[in-house]
Amino acid sequence: MASGNIERRTILKAAGASAAALGLAATTGCGGDSGTSADGTVTIRYSWWGAEERQKRISQSIRLFEKKFPKIKVKTDFQDYVAFWEKFQTQAAGGNPPDVFQNAVGFLRKYDKRGILLDLKSQIDAGNLSTRNFREGVLSVGQVDGKQLGVPVGSNTMALVIDKKIFRKAGVTPAPGWTWDDYFKALKTIHDRTKVPGDTGYFSIMYLYDLYLRQNGKAFFTKDGLGFDKADLTEWWQDGYNRVKAGIITDPKTVAQDRPKSSVTAKHGASEFTWDNFTVRYTAEGDSEYGLAPIPTTDGKNTGQYLASLMLSASARTKHPKEVAQFIDFMVHDPEVGKIMGYDRGILATTDQYAAFKPSDPVAREIAKYEEDTAKAGVLGTITPHPSGADTVEAAFLRIAGDMSLGKYKVADAVKQFFDESEAAFQA
Amino acid sequence: MGTTVTLVKESPLPTRKARSAAPAAGKRRGRRENLAGYLFMSPWIAGFLLLTAGPMVASLYFAFTDYNLFNSPKWIGFDNFTKMFDDPRWQKSVEVTAKYVVIGTPLKLLLALGVALLLAQSRRGQAFYRAAFYAPSLIGASVSIAFVWRSIFSDDAVVDRTMALFGVHSGGWVGDPDWILYCLVALAVWQFGAPMVIFLAGLKQVPKELYEAAAMDGAGPFRRFWSITLPMISPVLFFNVLLETIHSFQIFGSAYVVSNASCGPADATLVYTCYLYQQGFKNAQMGFASAMAWMLLLAVALVTAVLFWSQKKWVHYEEDAR
Repeated sequence: MASGNIERRTILKAAGASAAALGLAATTGCGGDSGTSADGTVTIRYSWWGAEERQKRISQSIRLFEKKFPKIKVKTDFQDYVAFWEKFQTQAAGGNPPDVFQNAVGFLRKYDKRGILLDLKSQIDAGNLSTRNFREGVLSVGQVDGKQLGVPVGSNTMALVIDKKIFRKAGVTPAPGWTWDDYFKALKTIHDRTKVPGDTGYFSIMYLYDLYLRQNGKAFFTKDGLGFDKADLTEWWQDGYNRVKAGIITDPKTVAQDRPKSSVTAKHGASEFTWDNFTVRYTAEGDSEYGLAPIPTTDGKNTGQYLASLMLSASARTKHPKEVAQFIDFMVHDPEVGKIMGYDRGILATTDQYAAFKPSDPVAREIAKYEEDTAKAGVLGTITPHPSGADTVEAAFLRIAGDMSLGKYKVADAVKQFFDESEAAFQA
Repeated sequence: MGTTVTLVKESPLPTRKARSAAPAAGKRRGRRENLAGYLFMSPWIAGFLLLTAGPMVASLYFAFTDYNLFNSPKWIGFDNFTKMFDDPRWQKSVEVTAKYVVIGTPLKLLLALGVALLLAQSRRGQAFYRAAFYAPSLIGASVSIAFVWRSIFSDDAVVDRTMALFGVHSGGWVGDPDWILYCLVALAVWQFGAPMVIFLAGLKQVPKELYEAAAMDGAGPFRRFWSITLPMISPVLFFNVLLETIHSFQIFGSAYVVSNASCGPADATLVYTCYLYQQGFKNAQMGFASAMAWMLLLAVALVTAVLFWSQKKWVHYEEDAR
């Protein structure tokens, strides 16, 4: 240092630099940029889970919304299902959840208990969000203890997605009312004739086991716990394990490798139990022809199915409840949005959109017909409650069943582990 | 990771002459300089306090509470720690991590030392080889490489086909709980470049005359390695063992990505940090996860202490010889 004057400049520069660095840190703080700008334009954050295909449809819908409501800007982000809920949980815990977000029935009680969800009743009463024209029974999926915590955008139901080409080759035709015996015989026929395992692991899917239990007068969940006992699950998983060993179900090692793709679209399995609207995804992912088949039954009639739904929920902490309500209203009622979204998130929830969308591609038509047929067959029951922690239980069910089927755990140990983890999840 | 460290000793300022001329001004200037120094450091200090020290203290507190991110933490004493030992998945994660550390670290260091020995000899294209072997260390930790890894170890991919040529058809390592951990070990070993460079530097320090004298006395190459090279580079070896061991304990990214975020199949890649992450951020058991983190710190500290203690037996510092 040459002169005494430099120090002051040094100090000032240092001060300036650190102030700048801190300022930078402050402005890059994650996420929460919703707010009101000087000209009165309100920005709301909308998060959802899904893939590329859904992203295209949603941004197109948002462009329409912003045209109609020029004072509201919508900022979006999306992840896949698992990543979405991890991020959401962290944001919500930090007091910074998105203003509006995609939701499902398994999460309603959990986040209601934690005070994250806005009861949309007030906005409905204020006239910002209309509950008219919802298809029968759909709106109630978003209700918990008299509160409207979510507004359904589409309804879906568990179904059996099949690779039609393989089923045809094996000469197997699923028929309404077929029994589990018929179904497992079909899997064997498929494997014998085409060398492809018939199913990719039915025993690890919580929502399917729910249907099986419902067929037998029980359900997966009660209001605050599990609706079945260890003996029930031991039988379900032991049978599953035996069928994996018999080769009629995809080797779980292969299933693990195929992820995040489905083993059906990877041509390692002929069918899979999942939500009916997933046919859209499978068609985009694989190059065979995919369709829907009825759920096997215990008594030759009752499938245990019910209508579930994806919905939009709002944060209890949003600074713009009115704008959020207007946005939800637009997304569920606007006919143009219905045309854009199609059956990507299930059969459109309101008659406004349902009537506007005329499915032209065979996949959408098949989904519509499936839900129509299911409704006509009179097998749709009412949805049973999903207690807080249902999401963690679902993930544990999938993981532990997979581990069990790899032969790494005895069935009895797997069942015990599942009951232990469920207990912890309900209490969390 | 920086591999060369240069220490520059600066002459103390201000000089004695200046101080005697104006002691008061000098003191003031000294204080000012200190202030400037702290100001320059302040972004780092702020970051350290806010982003490292603060959260550490908080996590120590959470470790003794039942905390699900939303409730207010409830003090439960040592319950989280006792619960750990009864938790089969926690035991599994300890087992997986121990296996990874015990198998991966020595393999990586052996390879690093072996290649360093080869590269220590002068030959044409030396710089190129060094750069080429070092490169994986630079990119290996990235997520995209882990994705590549996942696909080359899949069924019917490069590794599987190559092994099939030798009559081993594994059906892919990625989906097989008995194999997938070795896929991660291979990924770690492949990044041997960083310890290799440190070994190289160590090898350069070994005085040539020792080898010449030994050769004169009739010592063969193996004897020279065992009696000269190894003792002479033992401080470097110690440094590498320490660093790589600690580093291995912290494995997360590769396990998370290669297993497609599941740390499976059948918990085969459920490394410690992965289970910690699942408990903290998936199951919202933040108290338990914090306790796990402190347990890991204790374990790493213990292993480090044992290593330091053991160096008396096998690390040779030049001062000892004098």
